[in-house]
Amino acid sequence: MSALDISNKVISLEAAVSLINNGDKTALGGALSLREPISLVREIIRQNIQDLHIIGNAHGIDVDMLCGAGSIGTAEVTYVGFEFDFGIALNYRKVCESGQVKVLENNCVTLLNQLRASAFGLSYVAQKSFAGSEIIKLHPEFKVMESPFNGENVVLVPPMRPDVALIHAQYADTLGNIRIEEPFASDIILARASEKVIVSAEKIISTEEMISLKPNIPYFEITAVVEAPYGAHPTSCYPNYAYDREHMAEYVTATKGGLEEFKKQYLDKYVYGVTNEEYMNLIGGKEKTKRIEGWQGSIEEWKEIFTVGDVV
Amino acid sequence: MSHISECVIDELFVKLMSSTIKDGEVIFYGGSSPLAMIAVYLAKNTHAPNLVHIGGNPAGLDPRPPFLPPSTHDWTMLEHALGVLPIDYVFDLGSQGRIDRMFLSGAQIDMYGNTNVTAIGGLEKMKVKLPGGGGGAKLSCDIKNGVLWTTRHRARQSSRGKVYTIVSEVDFVTAVGHKTPSGSREELGLIGKGPEWAITNLGVFDFDENTSAMRLRYLFPDTTVEDVIENTEFEPAIHTDLKIVELPTSDEVAFIRNFDSLEIRKREFPPEELERKFALETVRQ
Repeated sequence: MSALDISNKVISLEAAVSLINNGDKTALGGALSLREPISLVREIIRQNIQDLHIIGNAHGIDVDMLCGAGSIGTAEVTYVGFEFDFGIALNYRKVCESGQVKVLENNCVTLLNQLRASAFGLSYVAQKSFAGSEIIKLHPEFKVMESPFNGENVVLVPPMRPDVALIHAQYADTLGNIRIEEPFASDIILARASEKVIVSAEKIISTEEMISLKPNIPYFEITAVVEAPYGAHPTSCYPNYAYDREHMAEYVTATKGGLEEFKKQYLDKYVYGVTNEEYMNLIGGKEKTKRIEGWQGSIEEWKEIFTVGDVV
Repeated sequence: MSHISECVIDELFVKLMSSTIKDGEVIFYGGSSPLAMIAVYLAKNTHAPNLVHIGGNPAGLDPRPPFLPPSTHDWTMLEHALGVLPIDYVFDLGSQGRIDRMFLSGAQIDMYGNTNVTAIGGLEKMKVKLPGGGGGAKLSCDIKNGVLWTTRHRARQSSRGKVYTIVSEVDFVTAVGHKTPSGSREELGLIGKGPEWAITNLGVFDFDENTSAMRLRYLFPDTTVEDVIENTEFEPAIHTDLKIVELPTSDEVAFIRNFDSLEIRKREFPPEELERKFALETVRQ
């Protein structure tokens, strides 16, 4: 990979996101309310990158926000929603129902095996059959076959090689070594399976510090690194900070009035023309960061984080 | 001993889901499943102390969270866990046939236990895009036993006529039951046994071994066979030994309330269902 030539992979948020092209198969790291690459997502929206083919497992605000901004052409994901916190992801629902986004719903196990095929350098991976599920019908590239060894039914899935994977990590160094805290979601396999890998990190540390922490994605997989403190906000990036439910409630409220209202109420306020410094002030500044970082203080403080915020 | 004189439908529901678990089983559930999560804890703390609990999306092994969070992919779900299982490890356990039981829900559940969490109307005539099935499509084929649940087993009137949650045929088969339009589990060569139970807010169903169809096995103290028939698109078989579900003990109710102190479980129910309360027996062993 040409990335090996680069001795300092740390570049600006703008420069990193400009590596993403219209129509790219773009995989998202993290999952649900955990460590999603939201600062990269906001920059994609600012750069008005279009027609993305999004790859992901169970996601929430990242996919929904991209849907609300009109950035997605195809959604190859397994779940998009806010679970029993806020329920249905309304932007995702709207663009799927209107046909603006092509729905190629996938299954977590199958997608994992497709990423494995890519990481293994194979033309397919065989998995136990899930014939009967109509998810198979959405993917004519999956082949149901009989095993030549014991005759069992298997499904062959071809490699999934995203053009670019977007991952948010706790630590990176300038070489591109990455340290992520568990749970990893699909991030490790995504880094192995994707063409380009862009990582936003809470903190850039020295390689000496990285060696003591033990990296879990090697530098040669990484294309570019961006320093992005609170870059997963409003999803969590433990142990640094918990999920910002109060902000999520505001987000979900802004999706209630349709796509145009969402642009006015949310994207104009928090995304378009907003620098990261401005974003941090808009979300509540030090008072907010103190609260979401305060989860370690006591069980009561942790619990409190999940009780603030109302959808109106 | 706790002194709780009545329980609410959500607590009874947790107890019913919990009762399906056998001691020693390996249990998994997906995201967006608070009732299933609490049911596993209740089982582990009562009749199934040796169950192996793989805690949902972050996949902590036997975690002991301080409280149930509203989003499953949270570090609360890793507290006191015996490590975190990588996602591929969990899915591979499924493929090996080593997940004994998984809980799956559906916006539609049909008579053979197929579930739809992809789209009402299917994808071609999509009326409502649902969130999607996560890993359910594949895991439903692999797991030894499935437990289906819905808290919305009530027909409702809409401009399209009567709309059901428990339907004759789902609009889209996301997760697989006993028999699909493409064939039975045996014909499809699937390794798991399929859904063992379907628990709804009106009753508990098993699946008839001959027809593979849902069969009413238990009613609630406040529901009738007529309620079930009226709210189900097909006419379900009734077990010859139809019974009323057993209520939780006051200790079990206390456990549920204490563990889920944020009451995330109640969000699974339409508000009117939460009016349903059941008097507990005052003297219990």
